[in-house]
Amino acid sequence: MSDELIQIETPFAFNEENQRKFDELIGRYPVKEAAMLPTLHLAQKQVGYITPAVMKYVAEQLEVSVMKVKDVVTFYPMFFEEPVGEYVIRVCHTLPCALRDCKVVLEHLKEKLGTDIASETNLAKGTTADGKFTLMKVECLASCDVAPVIMVNDDLHKNLTPEKVDEILDNL
Amino acid sequence: MVQERRILYEHLDVPDINTFDVFRQYDGYTRFEKAIAEYQPEDIAKMVMDSGLKGRGGAGFSTGLKWSFVPKDIKPCYLCCNADESEPGTFSNRYVLEKNPHLLIEGILICCYAMGIETTYIYIRGEFTLGKKMLDAAIKEAYEKGYLGKDVRGTGLNIDIYSHPGAGAYICGEETGLIESLEGKRGQPRNKPPFPAVEGVFGKPTVVQNVETLCNLPFIVGNGVEWYTQMGPTYADTRANPPTPDPNTGTKLYCISGDVNEPGVYELDLGLTCTELIEVAGGLRGEEVKAVIPGGSSAPILTHYELDTRLDFTSLTLAKSMLGSGGIIVMNETRNIVDCLLNIMKFYAHESCGQCTPCRWGTPWVRDIVQRIADGNGRKSTMTRPKFGVAENGRWGDTGETEDIYEDLDLLESVANNIANVDTMTWNTICVFGIAVSWPAVSYMRKFRPEFEATIREGQLVTLPVAEATVPPEENYAYQQRFVPKEFADL
Ligand SMILES: Cc1cc2nc3c(=O)[nH]c(=O)nc-3n(C[C@H](O)[C@H](O)[C@H](O)COP(=O)(O)O)c2cc1C
Ligand code: SF4
Ligand code: FES
Repeated sequence: MSDELIQIETPFAFNEENQRKFDELIGRYPVKEAAMLPTLHLAQKQVGYITPAVMKYVAEQLEVSVMKVKDVVTFYPMFFEEPVGEYVIRVCHTLPCALRDCKVVLEHLKEKLGTDIASETNLAKGTTADGKFTLMKVECLASCDVAPVIMVNDDLHKNLTPEKVDEILDNL
Repeated sequence: MVQERRILYEHLDVPDINTFDVFRQYDGYTRFEKAIAEYQPEDIAKMVMDSGLKGRGGAGFSTGLKWSFVPKDIKPCYLCCNADESEPGTFSNRYVLEKNPHLLIEGILICCYAMGIETTYIYIRGEFTLGKKMLDAAIKEAYEKGYLGKDVRGTGLNIDIYSHPGAGAYICGEETGLIESLEGKRGQPRNKPPFPAVEGVFGKPTVVQNVETLCNLPFIVGNGVEWYTQMGPTYADTRANPPTPDPNTGTKLYCISGDVNEPGVYELDLGLTCTELIEVAGGLRGEEVKAVIPGGSSAPILTHYELDTRLDFTSLTLAKSMLGSGGIIVMNETRNIVDCLLNIMKFYAHESCGQCTPCRWGTPWVRDIVQRIADGNGRKSTMTRPKFGVAENGRWGDTGETEDIYEDLDLLESVANNIANVDTMTWNTICVFGIAVSWPAVSYMRKFRPEFEATIREGQLVTLPVAEATVPPEENYAYQQRFVPKEFADL
């Protein structure tokens, strides 16, 4: 994919606050490229997912090729290349959570939201029609002592039962 | 009952310990000040070496020894703090980051002073949003109070700490994967050598150290080596002649989860047994222990015959398992081991970075075989073959009997062993993720073979009673090379 071939619908640029954060970030590393992950996190926070425009912008800022940015974006599960819901619900399903019945929580969420589970290549599958929620499975969230756990955007919720899930969803 | 000994976690629950002022009231930063006032950098490195501190992140490598590999004449040298905690079953670093981040900063300062390091990156797991927030606030405070930045507390040292978020890839916990990721690339591990200590991030010498390892440093400096080495056993390494001491000193933040009544982090001296730890964690939830994973999901499983195994680096290595990250997962009699293995193999198949062919293809293949068995479609041949085991002469060999051929179990072992061979401990891959895949795959299958066989025979998941699910040690090859270390003092 050469840079010219990318179809840019809406151009992207950091807003003022993120620009300030970015300027501070870039000073931390001896090479600009090293600021890749924090920069992509900033951009994703701003527009919700990594569009081709974001990749192009980040590539320019870090003085690397767009291909390199794409390379990184596709590697890490936390970067989305498609739109996601307003609330991203991550359900942990690794062994310690599985031993504490995370399946029940997952099934309950599926039923309640009326959606399937997103896969990394098909986020739309796990997104509700109103674009409010995206449901996905993730690996161990390093909270196995309070299993089963889910993350709703940045917040961790512990020791879940279907009732607690209802409560969390109602309070959003 | 074994008592908890809280050192790293002592002040964890003090309100506002995450702020500089409160941390300061509990001796905060005094150990760093002591280090600067009383010791030369070399003295600190020697203390760490003498303390016997072993890395808490997974490999259990001697920290002092790692530091000694760093060339003194190449500058700059970097410190990368590994806060990517993603080994299933591990959750001790999280609490340090969220509740007591200044302790980590003090540990980093001591390491930086000892190694002449000016820049530290804390690679923190992307999902740790709260941890990162608390850590960033603590770093900011430390800058304001003059413990970081230019000319730290008038000593002429320049020390910077930056937090760097990951983005959800398990493999970035591997030290060279972490370095690649930190450089802004895909987190694909590098071939070793060169080791990071010689050529790491940005091509410079780099010390990679786990959060818990670094948090031990203030206490080693503050209370002295003698105090530190009293905790935990020191074994005799009999490979050397005369035997050399093999320290397993200090406390460990044991993370225990699964079927126990009070899962959580317990700080205890290294070297207690599985049974003791389960007791500390409120006892078993259920009737009987079926299996214990002693060191995060990568570690080979222990059966109910092995519950007297001491949970320390040496004992577990000699028991053909590992302490790893100290994440202990307990399973009771209701659990099906085939199902557990399937869960773990799905994890590894998802997390392989895809660089090496044996790992990229082998791991999903292993997962698919286990899936097939769990679905009730496991393959079994109609033929039989000579059975190997303990023969009449007491040696391992042909027993004169015949056994059924479970093709899928043979295949499972063969595929796993071709990613990394658990018997010879050689791997056909770049990083030891390969071992982390084949260790559980082969050990679960060998130790719980009756359960796997029953599942294939019946065509559905069969959970056998604990006594029948695993073969006794004397009849099972998987236990044949198990040893118990001797204490150095007993020689
Ligand atoms: C696949 C894999 C994953 C790892 N994940 C982590 C991790 O999440 N956290 C960690 O501290 N070490 C992890 N390690 C171990 C590191 O490679 C390294 O040994 C450790 O950070 C060194 O620090 P220490 O000596 O203080 O333990 C992992 C290793 C492998 C092979
Ligand atoms: S062993 Fe697996 S995880 Fe490690 S470098 Fe190779 S492909 Fe990547
Ligand atoms: S397995 Fe769910 S948090 Fe560890």
